[in-house]
Amino acid sequence: MRPGTAGNAVRGAALMLAAALLLAVWAVPVLLAVLTSLKNEKEVLAYPPSLLFEPTVKSFVTVLTGPTNIVPNLTSSLIVSIGTTILTIIIAVPAAYAFARLRLPGKRPVGFYVLATQLVPPIGLIIPYFLILNRIGWMDSYQGLILIYLTFSLPFAIWLLVSYFEDIPREMEEAALLDRASRWQAFWHVVLPQARGAIAVTVTFVFLNAWNEFLFAVVLGGATVKPVTVAMYNYINTEQTQWAQLSAAALVAMLPVIVLGILAQKHIVSGLSAGAVKGAGRR
Amino acid sequence: MNKRGAVKLAGVGKSFGQTSVLREVDLEIRPGEFFSLLGPSGSGKTTTLRIIAGLETASAGHVYLDDIDATLTPPGDRDVAMVFQSYALYPHMSVFDNIAFPLKMIRMPAAAIAVAVREAAARVRIDHLLTRRPGQLSGGQQQRCALARAIVRKPALFLLDEPLSNLDAKLRVETRVELRRLQRALDVTTIYVTHDQEEAMSMSDRLAVFMDGRIVQIGTPEEVYGQPATVEVAAFLGNPPMNLLPARLEGSDALVAGARVATPHLAGLGHRDVMLGIRPSDVTLGAEGIAATVTLCELLGEDMIVDLDVGGLLVRVKAPGRGRIAEGERVHARFEAQRLHVFDKASGARVAV
Repeated sequence: MRPGTAGNAVRGAALMLAAALLLAVWAVPVLLAVLTSLKNEKEVLAYPPSLLFEPTVKSFVTVLTGPTNIVPNLTSSLIVSIGTTILTIIIAVPAAYAFARLRLPGKRPVGFYVLATQLVPPIGLIIPYFLILNRIGWMDSYQGLILIYLTFSLPFAIWLLVSYFEDIPREMEEAALLDRASRWQAFWHVVLPQARGAIAVTVTFVFLNAWNEFLFAVVLGGATVKPVTVAMYNYINTEQTQWAQLSAAALVAMLPVIVLGILAQKHIVSGLSAGAVKGAGRR
Repeated sequence: MNKRGAVKLAGVGKSFGQTSVLREVDLEIRPGEFFSLLGPSGSGKTTTLRIIAGLETASAGHVYLDDIDATLTPPGDRDVAMVFQSYALYPHMSVFDNIAFPLKMIRMPAAAIAVAVREAAARVRIDHLLTRRPGQLSGGQQQRCALARAIVRKPALFLLDEPLSNLDAKLRVETRVELRRLQRALDVTTIYVTHDQEEAMSMSDRLAVFMDGRIVQIGTPEEVYGQPATVEVAAFLGNPPMNLLPARLEGSDALVAGARVATPHLAGLGHRDVMLGIRPSDVTLGAEGIAATVTLCELLGEDMIVDLDVGGLLVRVKAPGRGRIAEGERVHARFEAQRLHVFDKASGARVAV
């Protein structure tokens, strides 16, 4: 074997090892959850932990069909997350475009405010939000929780999209305007298709944040609006923690996010390749 | 019916905040003319084009298109088509859809669009590339695609903003000829922005030279080259540009770089300090004339450019490229007195002889 090849092999192995370590950080908790969800409650607490056990899907059945099943909570989460995502995109896309393109009075202070909202620790906002929702009677309501989620998803989404819109050459829109497109048509036919990848990224992040949110949901939700993150907490109580059911519920709750990730990935890639134009525009 | 495509700018100015980028631009472009806006970068030529397109609004003055005041008309209502320096093709659309876009915007029926797109594409010879995306085209093909998009709806006015600057040198010269041919065939008024004086000279019916946000000269290429209105224009046009030498006129003689040149035809100008201009091709090297030292010799093929030190001043000469002249060699340069240009020392304006 030539020395170069040996060096390459060593480097390859080192890279694989590094990748495996990084992956493990993410994968080990998930694997543990999978294993735990397939055990019965007694085996979960066995010490040392048993690796060989008879797998059972009992926990999944309980979590999905039992008297305290999480299906209504999944629905609740979906309504809140999809609602937040749709409203965010509808508002953030034109807003980000305006920030990127138009000469607006007060553009700078507003832009700073948008970012500043990201600096406030959420826990500090709980009480004002509680008071506001209480005053307008939106406690434990979908519109209430979605409204609160918008306060942090909107600035984030606008901030994310502005940079994408700024990257789209102005001349492309000018060409469209000269070709008799209205400003709206130029936006719709020329700008928006090129921002597809950016929008896919934004949708993914906003949905993910809303889906995983716990703090606001537990305080501002209630019997009507009880997202799955809050419901999962029921498996932890003073008498005991039902680890197997908790794990099963967590795994079920991961599914929509994984599906979204796979769907969005395709659009992200196609969005990126659509933008790759040598010389023309994207310089 | 009168021919369309007349453009008139009257006292047009443009400032961004406190900075004025364009001042008092007056311009009349005739229907069917190929008109170039020539000038160094930052001289206001692109701004002028964008004001004609309606992409910028003039801060002062008026824009008339076919004698109608269009100063505030939105770009889409001006019946102009533009080719951008970057081409500004829509990367997510096929070549066909790119060319079809302006027609779709005016809601032309699909069948008519297909015919028009094919015709426009054939004119610039990209009809075999209609299904491709702009990203899959070469630079030259992208440029043709942008051209096709401009000609497809038969506008009254073409605006071309340095359309050749992204092409390599050989393709640029070829496209120059083709563009001129296309303009002749379509017979559409064309305004062409360029900083390349060779492009402007070779293609234009007339041109306007921009300097520092003003037009300093308007004329045919022959006029502008042959009788530059100011020292700046003289220094900008020609490759290499005109030699400009401080001189003193003394009756029928001129004192240049410590030497005396006979200029009987300038006797009427009396005694005064001036700038004398002479094109490199109007200086000949020979046995007689002003003594000079060769400092550099560049062979260009057909010709060569010889840099001379004449009494401490740099004089560049375009000489036939036969043999080389060694650096440091002593030579004699003769100025063709009849081809001397005279400029006022203080204002830089051309002095009529």
